[in-house]
Amino acid sequence: MTTNKIEIKDLTVNYIENKKSFNALHDVNFGVGKGEFVSVIGASGCGKSTLLSVLEGLYAPAGGSVQIDGKELHGTGTERGVVFQHYSLFPWMTTRKNIEFGIKQSRHDVKRSERAKIADEFLTKVGLSGFGSKYPSQLSGGMQQRAAIARALAMNTEILLMDEPFSAIDPKNRVLLQELLLKLWEGDGVEERKTVVFVTHDIDEAILLSDKIVVLTAHPGTVNEVVNVPFDRPRRRDDLVKTEEYGKFRNRLLSLLYNDIAERIGGDEVVL
Amino acid sequence: MTLKKRYLRLAHLLFIALLLIQLLPDHSTKAVYTSYLVKFAIGVEVIVLAASALIKKEESLALLVDIAGFVYVLLAVWSLATAKYNYLNDLLFPAPGKVIHQFVVDKDKILINIKSSLRTTLKGFLLATAVAVPLGLFVGWSARLGSAATYITKFFSSIPPIVYIPYGIALLPTFKSVSVFVIFLATFWPVFAGTMSGVLGVDKKIIDSAKVLNVSKPEMLFKVILPASLQQIFLGCNQGLSVSFILLTSAEMIGAKDGMGYYVKYYSDFGDYTRTITGLLVIGFVVIGVTFLFNKLQKRLLRWKP
Repeated sequence: MTTNKIEIKDLTVNYIENKKSFNALHDVNFGVGKGEFVSVIGASGCGKSTLLSVLEGLYAPAGGSVQIDGKELHGTGTERGVVFQHYSLFPWMTTRKNIEFGIKQSRHDVKRSERAKIADEFLTKVGLSGFGSKYPSQLSGGMQQRAAIARALAMNTEILLMDEPFSAIDPKNRVLLQELLLKLWEGDGVEERKTVVFVTHDIDEAILLSDKIVVLTAHPGTVNEVVNVPFDRPRRRDDLVKTEEYGKFRNRLLSLLYNDIAERIGGDEVVL
Repeated sequence: MTLKKRYLRLAHLLFIALLLIQLLPDHSTKAVYTSYLVKFAIGVEVIVLAASALIKKEESLALLVDIAGFVYVLLAVWSLATAKYNYLNDLLFPAPGKVIHQFVVDKDKILINIKSSLRTTLKGFLLATAVAVPLGLFVGWSARLGSAATYITKFFSSIPPIVYIPYGIALLPTFKSVSVFVIFLATFWPVFAGTMSGVLGVDKKIIDSAKVLNVSKPEMLFKVILPASLQQIFLGCNQGLSVSFILLTSAEMIGAKDGMGYYVKYYSDFGDYTRTITGLLVIGFVVIGVTFLFNKLQKRLLRWKP
């Protein structure tokens, strides 16, 4: 019936804080096709990062199920590469060693001697050739995220989970990183592309990158709507943002996001 | 750095002043070995001049030169008060040249004692570290969920290790092993506590990052938690090391047959205060040397810290 790579059904997650349990996610349903780039957006507190930590295997759901390739997800696994907002890299390893460590964990077929070569290859791909012997603390935030992406890609996992990877980066570098990710992901060719779940609160970032956008609403976090992004690939930001369709589409997403907020805090009294 | 900054320093004037002072006639009733003092001062000055030509960083050079200047002043005042004007009792206060001469005469004996002291300290210290770090990692990792371990550690580390000496003497066959035992205890608790607090303080994001890479339990402990808590571990080690030297020398003064503490105690019992002071100074240099090397190691292992 379904050919989805990731299938999320009736997912419910409870968070326990100060011994009180509250409902972080409630009856979340959506699927991610193989080779699909799906963004999850929503206001802060809607549970989008919680959703991703369930996919990462770091948090167990209270109800419902998450299936990958039809199999129930249990705990962490190296078929999923992860990029966090902070500390994806170990600060005590050089960028090259960090990538080698990732390769070692996920690709048992790769010989020890080949790891460094592959690491350097991917460092070059993200524009960090020559930075292999630097420690993360010697790199800027943007460069650290480049290296984290290099590691996730070098691990050659089928699924890539990205938790607001560019949120802490300054706007100019954020744009560069989005374009880099787009180029690397699209560059793989339709058949080879990785399945990506990308969490963000940046609407433009979501539109530029995704095939499909899942809009979450908060309290409890649940899916408001799943929207297909109607723009052809390969995409270029400059061409995209100029079009009328882009503006319309963006407004539609905004209204999905903010209607929810407006309703919750008192309808038409709110001036946005 | 300009040549002026490199070589025109107050310390060089102090050096010359120190030499000129040595031309004054001696008034001590004992031998003062002025030539040893002069040779020593020239030796220090040669090192300082060589360093002035080689050291690139201005601050490091300034530091070295200032220390040399302080040494010259100290030696000058010391020799004026003893050899030159004999203000102090020359039985209790030997002249600087005499101490240096004593060091040269005794250097083989001193070396044997230093070796013995270092061997005892290192044995206790390394053994304690080798047990405390893995244990601290393991207990700390389990204690991240909350446990009594922190309080138990607090209790045991609050007992001054020196009070274990009498019991250690009853328990153990040789005085050497008592010293090792006490140093072991003195190092174990701070290193254990440091490791635990390091583990408890590791950022959850780092642990999540390791978990999603599917690390095994040993990898998690030794490749992730260990380096992530290394700074705290070193804090514990530093504390352990400084207490170790205090304990070692105390223990050696109580009942050992060698070691630097024994050297100082033995000769002061005979009223040989030249050797007593020689011993004190040597202990100072040894402790500084070990601490220096240990800090180098720490800097090297933590070079990834911002």
